[in-house]
Amino acid sequence: MAGLELLSDQGYRLDGRKPSELRKVQARMGIFTRADGSAYIEQGNTKALAVVYGPHEVRGSRSKTLHDRAVINCQYSMATFSTAERKRRPHGDRKSSEMSLHLKQTFEAAILTQLYPRSQIDIYVKILQSDGGNYSACVNAATLAVIDAGIPIRDYVCACSAGFVEDTPLVDLCHAEETGSGTAVALALLPRGGQIALLQMDARLHQDHLDPVMEAAMTACRSLGQVLDGVVRQHLQEVSILTGE
Amino acid sequence: EQFGTLSSYGRELGEFRATTLNIGSISTADGSALVKIGNTTVICGIKAELATPPTDAPNKGYIVPNVDLPPLCSSRFRPGPPGEQAQAASQFIADLIDSANIIQREDLCIESGKLSWVLYCDIMCLDYDGNLLDACVIALLAALENAQLPEVTINKETELAEVNPQKLHPLNVTKHPVGSSFAVFDNTIVIVDPTAEEESLSTATITVVTDEDERLCALHKPGGSGLSAEKLQDCISRAVTRHREVRKLIEEVLKSKQQ
Repeated sequence: MAGLELLSDQGYRLDGRKPSELRKVQARMGIFTRADGSAYIEQGNTKALAVVYGPHEVRGSRSKTLHDRAVINCQYSMATFSTAERKRRPHGDRKSSEMSLHLKQTFEAAILTQLYPRSQIDIYVKILQSDGGNYSACVNAATLAVIDAGIPIRDYVCACSAGFVEDTPLVDLCHAEETGSGTAVALALLPRGGQIALLQMDARLHQDHLDPVMEAAMTACRSLGQVLDGVVRQHLQEVSILTGE
Repeated sequence: EQFGTLSSYGRELGEFRATTLNIGSISTADGSALVKIGNTTVICGIKAELATPPTDAPNKGYIVPNVDLPPLCSSRFRPGPPGEQAQAASQFIADLIDSANIIQREDLCIESGKLSWVLYCDIMCLDYDGNLLDACVIALLAALENAQLPEVTINKETELAEVNPQKLHPLNVTKHPVGSSFAVFDNTIVIVDPTAEEESLSTATITVVTDEDERLCALHKPGGSGLSAEKLQDCISRAVTRHREVRKLIEEVLKSKQQ
């Protein structure tokens, strides 16, 4: 884009961050009473909500029931007022369906579904305000919500986006960087074992540049993992004070 | 969980749950408000777009409300197209905007016959614990009072609209209606602000909406068991008192936001 430098000469991005710097993360768990698990996360200006119901009996078609594990049902949607232009179809369009499928596949890898045969776990994610990194915010919020619901999970699932501008990998892209830089890699990682749950890349990237971008994304995911861990521990402390343990 | 149950049993019959309000949290929306009545959480976002005015009313704009009850707010709602309750709530809000004159549609017109504003008011429930309509009305009112629209002028030569995002002015909210909902049990007991559990056990529900001139804007009693006229009068008086409480809350929040 003419006149919009994604990386300045001094090495600062549009919002003043360094290339490997994450946006400010604020998260809360257990915000809703009706749901079994819920969480809210803010990564910079992106705000995402995740709500988990389950495990419960399979609703709708009984034919979806799996005899040896739980069925995971994910739905991703964006509020109509979450983007600069009003979103006419908040769910049901191709992008939302693709995101829902990715979330389902990510969490099928992380949740110990063998413990709940013939049941269903619903994960609903909603974006209240979108400023890039929608998938990452959803995954991070959903991880916290699943933990809040008490569903056993192999490891935290941490996600982050990464790009490549002027030979420098950037992490945690905001909307302007996502649309402007050409390459956007989304990575979902289970930090303890270093296992990649999901990796997606759109647009062209030279093979030689893939390694530094992946490295940067994995480091960012690990830092996010530590942040999420801190949030969970603090929530547990608050809850145990309230219940008087 | 246990704290929620205790407070709903400890409440007086005429007592509303704790109401909190947070405005302007969504920066991508032109106006926004988040309301919590007890555990019921509702968020309203206002998006303004430009359009040509309707041919039968060239000096008026459009206000399009929509109430969404997504499956995340409660397990009783399934994914898919809007259900009965969501559609009925949307229609209730649309009728209320028309009858209560919250915003004069003429104020939304920029140039008669050529250009006007369309205000999309999207109300979304995030946590459903009864008394949806009251929360929706408060959220809508607070979001409209918080909304700022940019100045639009029509360039005389090109006939195109020019939007100036630096110059923002608030909407002119002429009336401020507030609703109160009641649940009736067997024509005898009337309680205010029912939770989801109380709603499911009730035999009828009533919603009364009043404005600041103590006039009735809406009275909604969709069937259910009968109710005597004097009980109905009590409901209306309670609604008038509730109006003052909520108005004060909205004004306090708006004032602290400006500071």
